[in-house]
Amino acid sequence: MKFVLVVVLLAGLGAGSPGVVKGDELGFVPPAPGSYALQHILRAPEGEVLDMSSQPRRLSRFTTGKITLLSLIYTSCSDGSGCPLASHLLRQLRQRADADEKLRARLRFVTFSFDPDNDTPEAMRAYAQGFLSDGKGPPWHFLTTRSRRELVPVLRGFGQDVWVSANGSDEKAGRLPHLLKAFLIDRNGWIREIYTTSFFQPQMVLNDMTTLLLEEVRGGG
Amino acid sequence: MLRASVSSPRFAAMWLASFALIASPWAAADETCNSPYIGNLIKGQEDYVYVWTLGIKGLGDGSDKLVTIDANPASKTYGKVVHKASVGRRGEAHHMGLTDDRRFLWAGGLDDSRIYVFDIAKDPAKPRLVKTIADLPAKTGYVGPHTFYALPGRVLVQGLSNSKDGGGVTGMALYNNQGKLIATYPMPTEGGGDGYGYDIAINPQKNVLLTSSFAGKKNYMMNLGKLVKDAEAMKHFGNTMVLWDLKAMKPTKIFSVPGAPLEIRWSLNQGDNWAVTASALTSKLWLIKQDASGEWQAQSVADIGDASKIPLPVDISIRADGKGLWVNTFMDGKTHYFDLSNPEKPVQTFEKVTGKQVNMISQSWDGERVYVASSLLANWDKTGADNEQFVRAFKWDGKELAPAFEVDFLKEKLGRAHHMKLGSKALKTAFEDGSERSPLAAQ
Repeated sequence: MKFVLVVVLLAGLGAGSPGVVKGDELGFVPPAPGSYALQHILRAPEGEVLDMSSQPRRLSRFTTGKITLLSLIYTSCSDGSGCPLASHLLRQLRQRADADEKLRARLRFVTFSFDPDNDTPEAMRAYAQGFLSDGKGPPWHFLTTRSRRELVPVLRGFGQDVWVSANGSDEKAGRLPHLLKAFLIDRNGWIREIYTTSFFQPQMVLNDMTTLLLEEVRGGG
Repeated sequence: MLRASVSSPRFAAMWLASFALIASPWAAADETCNSPYIGNLIKGQEDYVYVWTLGIKGLGDGSDKLVTIDANPASKTYGKVVHKASVGRRGEAHHMGLTDDRRFLWAGGLDDSRIYVFDIAKDPAKPRLVKTIADLPAKTGYVGPHTFYALPGRVLVQGLSNSKDGGGVTGMALYNNQGKLIATYPMPTEGGGDGYGYDIAINPQKNVLLTSSFAGKKNYMMNLGKLVKDAEAMKHFGNTMVLWDLKAMKPTKIFSVPGAPLEIRWSLNQGDNWAVTASALTSKLWLIKQDASGEWQAQSVADIGDASKIPLPVDISIRADGKGLWVNTFMDGKTHYFDLSNPEKPVQTFEKVTGKQVNMISQSWDGERVYVASSLLANWDKTGADNEQFVRAFKWDGKELAPAFEVDFLKEKLGRAHHMKLGSKALKTAFEDGSERSPLAAQ
């Protein structure tokens, strides 16, 4: 049965599939999905979060059971190479994954705020509207926390840095300067890849997602 | 400003649109020589120079230590040592590297193979030892952790040797930022590979990792005078560089680069596809570059000093714009500047004796400040009056290196000054002050 699934999945990586590598897009030819291993970097942290309906949830509800791409942002971030870029890329990836039935069924996207003072569930709902309007693709959750008390352990668990400039607000870097990070998490809650600005290449992310998918089918992970 | 960013919404929108097409931005690297994954760049005036220092028996506490020097001319303690973080033992302190979030500085000992993790974010002036990894040899078989190279959430550590025979065959160990070993990658010993390691440098834009090769513990812990007279030992230096598929972490091509190629620096210019290194024993600059067909090639492009006199080129530092390269030669104490406008034909345009022995060299992002440190290895450093131990700061105006300040590491009872990294007061972590007040509310 697994063999059949592998064949079906590999067949799905043919021309026109989002899993197909386009060398001209990347500037290099990346290794084929499934031909390399993604290491188990660390476990995604647990914590209490609020969904867009203000319902308290365990974070693991959004980081296990599916392959998850999670990015940490704050909605008022104005750094074009930070949060807006992350959300833009998640939307692009979701659209591309939507074209692949196997990926669509096994993926989820999560946008998680590290500004609980301003990013209330209502604010996250408003932010999400701009990204969910087409209604297509794998599920995309927009989460926040009740307070800094709930937030800090999650930030530390992900290793997400947030800095305070000694000069106070920095218009260019945003009010909370940070390094753009998105986390690819397998269905067992292991962080398997971390993307920063120089590493957040949509085709590579899709390849990594497909690699995890193939690993699941082969019984690994 | 902490890092490159886009200032206007209109430009940001254009940039995002172009990103959707290009989808492979080349993030600016750290102060010209570090991993491109390090996010918080010090593009203005640095506040500190951190110096990983070898302890000397009978001098001060005799232990290896991380020394903080105030490097901001506006400070009252400019040019002075403001902090020392001793590790309580000697283990041949050598190199160090920042984590991607710049919160931690990893520093290694080539003799005892210990890895020390210092927190530099909580109080950038006063690094604090928070973790010691002492089981690298036991868990990997590799010894002599040399290069610490940041990957997102991880640190890739290049070994120099192995615990089996102390030779040069070694590998890389991948840790997460919390210090847990994730994977190991042996250096290739087939297809022309000698299995040796030294430096690591990544170009994410090309999905490639380059490694270089030096020598095993038997050599680097031997007295230099004795070593050069040992014909058999002199055969055991690295003669290769390896190109790896970064994503797959598999070697894809092995280059013949005779004479121990050491530090590797990629050009940071958007779209550039080349790196340089210096071979210590043959005293040459090498260029690793894609040819017209996209194939990676290595070629010798310049001599460094008079190779027949073995000046021993050691550390190199590339300008942020890729147009120039500093090269230190240990034996004659010279600091050289090469014009890299044409990387296939580097031209030396400046040289100056900056010490009786010089090894490491670091520069600020704008290239206007240059720091030189003295020590190579405890058993390779010169002796007697030639054994100067210092960090010297210079100002560079494109024509002359003008002395700015100097710290005498012997007079200060510190030890042998080796690797340097820059620090900033501005790089202070949010959510760390223990208060419930939001850092946003504070603004």
